[in-house]
Amino acid sequence: MTTLHIINAAPTQTTQLSSCLRVLSAGDGIVFCGEAVQALRAGSLAAQQLQGIDHSCKVYALEEDVLARAIDAEALPVTLLDYPAFVALCVAYSRVSSWT
Amino acid sequence: MKFVINVLSSSNAPATRRALRFAQAVLAAGHEIVRVFFYQDGVLTASNNLVVAQDQQDIAKQWQAFITENKLDAVVCIAAALRRGVLDQAEAQRYQREAVNLADGYQLSGLGQLHDALQQADRCISFGGE
Repeated sequence: MTTLHIINAAPTQTTQLSSCLRVLSAGDGIVFCGEAVQALRAGSLAAQQLQGIDHSCKVYALEEDVLARAIDAEALPVTLLDYPAFVALCVAYSRVSSWT
Repeated sequence: MKFVINVLSSSNAPATRRALRFAQAVLAAGHEIVRVFFYQDGVLTASNNLVVAQDQQDIAKQWQAFITENKLDAVVCIAAALRRGVLDQAEAQRYQREAVNLADGYQLSGLGQLHDALQQADRCISFGGE
């Protein structure tokens, strides 16, 4: 059973990301939306942590939030999502965990 | 597939706009929304007293239009609503308040309605924070 984790807060504001990484299992996915996309900034501590996750785990981000913050998402292997793709992902993974 | 959408932030928060765009995409993809549950500051979206500046998006109004157009079951947590001054006719009478401000399309009820929706749905997606 794979889980899609949804994270919405910046890594400096909450422990969402570190808590999520503790329970992240092989095959899981993480969606970054809202201020959480700050975690994708090249060279940040959070981005370094993400580089260390299991290779079977995928990283996604809401494209509008990445563009609004001018984040260069090239540094990590990130798949950018529009809303239809976000919905499709929630269906594709067998569980969804919204971290709040 | 059946979805529950859980809205936890006020209508000013980007999370509540995100919840709306997500919910629109759920229906557009042919899925079903069993219930939209408004909880914590999310209950403020159901107030019809909100006045939004002309140069800003009125996300509460957009939520209401989406709910009524699609005849969605939109439940507002009654305890969270009362403490934030969102009242329907019955609660305004019960607590002797002058204002009734629960917007059309919403109903006040308890957390049990979230639990009930979770039993019916395949996925619950929560939108909180910023």
